[in-house]
This record gives sequence, C-alpha cells and structure tokens, in this order.
Amino acid sequence: MLQYVPGDTLAHHLDPRSKLCVQVGFAIAAFSSTAVWWLGGLYALAGVVLLAGQTPPQRVLRDYAVVLAVLALAPVLAGLALGPPWFRIDPALTSLRAVARIPPVLAVSAVYVRTTPIRETRAAIERLVPGRPGQLLGVGAGLVVRFFPLVVDDLRTIRTAMRARGGASRPVTDRARRLAVQGLDRTLARSDRLAVALRARCFAWNPTLPELRFSRADYPVTALGVLLALTPLVQSAALSPLLAVA
Amino acid sequence: MIAVHDVTARRGDAVALDGVSLTVDDGEFLLLVGPNGSGKTTLVRQFNALLEPDEGTVEVDGVDAHADPVAARTSVGMVFQHPRDQFVAATVGADVAFGPENLGLDRSEIDRRVDDALGAVGLADERETPIASLSGGEQARVAIAGALAMDPDHLVLDEPLTGLDLAARRSVVERLRALHADGTSVIVVTHDLRDLTELADRVVALVDGEVVRDGSPDTVLDDLDTLGVRDPRH
Repeated sequence: MLQYVPGDTLAHHLDPRSKLCVQVGFAIAAFSSTAVWWLGGLYALAGVVLLAGQTPPQRVLRDYAVVLAVLALAPVLAGLALGPPWFRIDPALTSLRAVARIPPVLAVSAVYVRTTPIRETRAAIERLVPGRPGQLLGVGAGLVVRFFPLVVDDLRTIRTAMRARGGASRPVTDRARRLAVQGLDRTLARSDRLAVALRARCFAWNPTLPELRFSRADYPVTALGVLLALTPLVQSAALSPLLAVA
Repeated sequence: MIAVHDVTARRGDAVALDGVSLTVDDGEFLLLVGPNGSGKTTLVRQFNALLEPDEGTVEVDGVDAHADPVAARTSVGMVFQHPRDQFVAATVGADVAFGPENLGLDRSEIDRRVDDALGAVGLADERETPIASLSGGEQARVAIAGALAMDPDHLVLDEPLTGLDLAARRSVVERLRALHADGTSVIVVTHDLRDLTELADRVVALVDGEVVRDGSPDTVLDDLDTLGVRDPRH
C-alpha cells in the first residue's frame, strides 16, 4: 500500500516544499509535450527520482496497478474501429503517447508519498498556502493519505471474506454490488470512529507542526522543479521547430 | 476526580444511560463491567466530552466537561477498543506526537512527552517504526502511549485486552500496573476480568444503563454470570 515508509534516502532528507515543487513542476512538464524524445527524458528523470527515494519500480507498478490497467485500455479503445480495418494504428499511437505521460508522474508522486510524513506535508502546505485555505488543504491532504489505505484494506478484507465462502461463483454484478454496499458501510463507520478519535486527542486547526528547514540539497532540487514548471514556456519560445520535426 | 451526576443518555428511543451517578477518585483503578449494550462505552465517552448527556452533568477535576472539553480531554486520556481506529499517522512517534501537537506545545516539550510515553509502554526504540508493522499487542501499547502523551490524570481504556495473546495481555497489564503505581487513575471497560481483578480497587457493573453493583472486586465475583462478565477464576 502506498504510504510513508521511514528511511534514510536523499528524498527522505529533502524539505517537503522542494519535493512538492518538483512534483508540480514534473507534472507540468509531463503534459507539455507528447514528443517521443521528451517522453524518454521524463522516464529517465522519473528513474532518477525513484533512485533518490530508493523506491523499486515494481512497487510503483503494484501500487498503481488499477490506474495503469485503465490507462493501458485507452490506446486500445482509441484504435478500435467499427468497420475494416477494425483497428487503426495512428489514433492508437496518439493515445498511447498521451497516456504514456502519466506513469512517470505517478512514479514521482509515489516517491513523494513514501518519503514524506503526513504532518510534514501538512506543514509544507500550510506554509505555502497561508491562512484558512492552507489549513483546510493541509488537514484534507493528511486525512486522505491516512484514510485511503484503510479503505483499500477494508475492501480487500470484504473481497477475501466473500471468496472464503464461495463468493467467486456469484455473478460479477452481484459481487460488485456487495463490495460497494459493504465498502461504503465500513468506510462511513470507520470515518465515524476516526472523527471520534481525533476529537478525543484534541484535534486542532493550528497544532505545533514540524519545523521545515531547507538543506543545501533542497536548493538545486527546488531549482529543478521551477525549471520543469517553466518548460512549456521554454518549448514554445525556443524548441518549437524541434518539436515540430519530432 | 471524575464525578458523574445523574446522567441520562438516549440513543433514539433507547435509553443508554439511565440516571447514572458515579465518582472516580484520583489514583483509583476501576473496572467498569457489564454485558454488551449495557452503556459502558457510552458512559466513559461522557468523561472527556465525546458524548453529551441528555440530562445530568459530568465534572472532571471540578470543571464541567462540556463547558471545557479540551481540559477534559487533556485530563482524561482515552484508549479505544480497536487501536487501529485511533491512529492518525504512519509511524509510532508521529502518532504519539499528534495529541501534544494539537495542544500547541513547544517542539522540545512534545519530544519529551513522546519519549516518556513510549518509554512507559516499553516502546522507546520504536519511534520511527511504521505502526502497520507492529503486532496487535504493540499496537495496543502505541494507543496507550498516544493517550499518555497528553499527560492525563485519568486514563480510560475500552476493552484493552480484547484479541491479545497471552504475552501481549501480560505486557499491557504490566503497563497498567505501572501507571497506577505512578498515581494515574485507570478506568478499564471490560467484560473479561482475567488478569485485572488483582489490580482493581473497585468494580462498577452496568446493566441496561443502570449501575447495579459498585464495590470491591470480591463483592461482584458471585454475580458475574448475570453481569455478562467472564469469571477470572475459570
């Protein structure tokens, strides 16, 4: 399950603000072009980020298996035709190049989640977005990161319980209905209990958050994030002839 | 001291607590027993203002719990039945620090409290350990540490031994014994008296939202079947 894992990697030692900067910059850069050489660069950079967080690529593949399966469907559907030749290569390739931009973004986000404690994320968001909106965003992000793995665990438990009593022999629609109803029921019950636990421990909108401090490594990382965020401008100004050729 | 004055609590048409009055003295070790649905959890959630009584009042150290819920929640630490429900962070240290951070304490004071709380439950070396990697008994102790980090005068534990193996039970019971010896009043909600009767100063039994027994552990041992409580002698 995608969640924070304590460690001693370069990514663990970076300030969450510089990691967020790279995360945002990378996403902007990823969606600025579908050129093959550009995609190659994105994948190479995502590989470096994975190395910096010592996050195995197979771990990312497993964590995002459902998302990646849906993405893989897109080019197939785009290439399908209702008459001969039944499958067209060009639209499928266009779609493939479009969806190929998403996996490296997911990889970078996986490194962020695995190397950043929730409360540091909250502190970073509240520093970057001042006032009540920042508090809301920070608390929201923290709760989602905390709550999502529990919900996924609950769904897995329900599926296992159904299988244990021969549920696999039932129609898919019946299984899906039971999973949805039971999943929703448990999610609501769990959120209820979490809310009570938060109140019992004096949940506050302005708690003492961890101190954030830029180290020397954070400056080049932040600069990289800014550079990535500016790539659409750079491309349109200087690289448009190259992109046209590609 | 926790003082409950004539508290009535309703859930829809059902009466969960019916005119309950009770005091818990400082430093007391109290067992709150009763069958399922007798109102035990509803009662202890009044102690730190997680639930509001329909009638009556609850005072913690002389202050109305609902007039000052933060003071009540600081004074009364609560450990829930399912530890996993109360964890709000991925690692042991981050979760234990959650409560003190909410009180707006200095970082150094938060660190001191986290160290003390983890030391008290025998998990001093597990600060950076992911909670998910711990055993059920260790998770129960992290939950206790989370409550202890609030520096409470009273500690309420809702079925703390449920689902624990023998070693984990002993570990938790020993921690409770040590806390009690340090002067913390301990209130344990349970329907399993094994391992706990020798620690308890007093047993209060609830049935259908009413207090039906209140005395030393010996005085209730002959009525355990009717109270839905497991006999510690068997």
